[in-house]
Amino acid sequence: MNNEKFVEVKNLRKVYDNGYEAIKNVSFSVKKGDLVCLLGPSGCGKTTILNMLAGLLFPTSGDILFDGKSVVKTEPKDRQIGYVFQNYALYPHMTVLQNVMFPLTVGKNKKSKEEAEKVARKYMDLTQITEFANQKPGSLSGGQQQRVAIARALVQEPKILLMDEPLSNLDARLRLKIREEIRALVKKVGITTLFVTHDQEEALSIGDEIILFNDGVIQQDDLGQNFYLEPNNYFVANFVGNPVIDNFKVEIKDGKVIGSDFELNLDDFDNSRFKREISDGQYILSVRPENIQPDENGHFEAEIKDVELIGRERILKFDHEAVQTRSLVNLEVPIKAGDKVALKMRLDRVFLFTPEGERVY
Amino acid sequence: MKQNQTKAWLFLAPTLFFVTFFSIYPILRAFVMSFQSGSLISLSWNGLGNYQYIFSDPEFWLAIKNTLLYALISVPVALAISVMLAWLIFSKVKHKSLFETTFFMPYVTSTIAIGIVFRYIFNGEYGMLNFILRAFHLPAPNWIDDPSMSLTTIILFGIWTSLAFNIVILMGALRNIDPNYYTIADMYGANSREKFWRITMPQLVPTLAFLLTMNIIAAFKIYTSVYALFNGQAGVGNSASTAVFYIYNKFQIVGTPGVAMAATVVLFLIILFVTFLQRKMMKKIGGQ
Repeated sequence: MNNEKFVEVKNLRKVYDNGYEAIKNVSFSVKKGDLVCLLGPSGCGKTTILNMLAGLLFPTSGDILFDGKSVVKTEPKDRQIGYVFQNYALYPHMTVLQNVMFPLTVGKNKKSKEEAEKVARKYMDLTQITEFANQKPGSLSGGQQQRVAIARALVQEPKILLMDEPLSNLDARLRLKIREEIRALVKKVGITTLFVTHDQEEALSIGDEIILFNDGVIQQDDLGQNFYLEPNNYFVANFVGNPVIDNFKVEIKDGKVIGSDFELNLDDFDNSRFKREISDGQYILSVRPENIQPDENGHFEAEIKDVELIGRERILKFDHEAVQTRSLVNLEVPIKAGDKVALKMRLDRVFLFTPEGERVY
Repeated sequence: MKQNQTKAWLFLAPTLFFVTFFSIYPILRAFVMSFQSGSLISLSWNGLGNYQYIFSDPEFWLAIKNTLLYALISVPVALAISVMLAWLIFSKVKHKSLFETTFFMPYVTSTIAIGIVFRYIFNGEYGMLNFILRAFHLPAPNWIDDPSMSLTTIILFGIWTSLAFNIVILMGALRNIDPNYYTIADMYGANSREKFWRITMPQLVPTLAFLLTMNIIAAFKIYTSVYALFNGQAGVGNSASTAVFYIYNKFQIVGTPGVAMAATVVLFLIILFVTFLQRKMMKKIGGQ
């Protein structure tokens, strides 16, 4: 058994019939028992990957291995996977029990009715839906339907669970609760899970590991916090983080970082964080809003246009070169809209990207 | 509140006027007429005489028998064939819209025109149907001119004409079934028979209930196809007489509107009863 690479995707490529290249040479692996999030904006190819893992789509090239064996030519029903759809796709004419039993009562390996019910009941207990056994899905809440869908995906005791945006149909509060439940459940069952989402917060909270996609390419495959602290490139830095990161166009010349109304010394930057030798030219300086703080010795001055309260912090909004820019400050900071404030960046925490998005600092 | 009600009645007035005078009044009038005798201009009270007359009229019983047989045979058979064809087109055919258009054609064509074409197809001597049957050495009956075949001919024709509407509605219903239902079933290894009986059929129940009601009501009112197939007659020697044919005959040809209206009331009650029964039945199936 290959526990380190229980699911392995090698040089996967998918070109649709209309010529659109949805996935461009993607490789990653998932540890046995891990919960991995495939994160990315709409149309980035994350669902395409999930469907190829499920066998619903055939890859143009590349290989998919489950437990060391290639499954590219294996039919979905023989891949030992459970799949939870975004809209759950519960059968509305069947009761909850019949829905959960369904996978056990069709196909070649179908079980007797008694046996199927026994297994179904076990997973219904686990997902806490036993009390709804004889109700139709239509009479259940979104969260309850979600659990029925998960129970149905688990009854065949698959080795891998695939979930396609399973929380997007729930309201915000329920989503928080259910995502914890899902994590607790898959950990209890010990099943290897791939979870597709476009919500970074969801991915950060639920995933052991996150794979961030854009344009059919993996942007970063990492532990959650690294997406925030050490983004691979400009896209990652801008995709992850709320409020979003602030970007400043700068020019580097003669050891100085020159912005429209500030000038920094490259010597003040943390030498160990440079990824490579830096040459003069155009760059993007990106700073998380909490790393821009009001300070008497500020790098530049700005007039605060608006102040937004978000719990124990406040966002100071100001325009910098006509682009809205933010500073995240403590609730107690007494700055109000209209104030002129000097702002200072924490140079040991900022990032520098080339215009192409490559991270150099 | 009071003012709103006045306004509401005002807005409803035109519709109410038309419904009252063109739907409710004729129904009531027919009901009253069924107790009257004489010609339209000199009606007189006749009590239950008209009902006594029709219940002792063998022609009436033949018409009712034919209508019932027609409805009970043609509707289920047509529905079964429609489901089969719709499912075939839906699951196996690439150019669905072409087939759908083809199948829908009969619905937009007048029954009279189709009936005339079918007169030729059904013709005992030179009809296409018998040409094919003879080629396979099967018995080739005289579909039109043999009184014992008239009802069969009408049933066959009725099945054919009702396919169009049924298939189009069923295709719509099939399209509305979430494709993920089948994807999931595939993933769990369900074969196509299991998918059809456990997903497709239950999902079609509401549509089938609707079609059954529509088809049964239409079947009880069958008239045009008889008229077209048998050249304005109810088959040779009235062998294919139906309820509406009987009503029309008594009203226009014989000139006894009271008798016609008594038959109308009976037909109305039969349709009401069957529809009611069928709704009960479908509720039971759908509620499982």
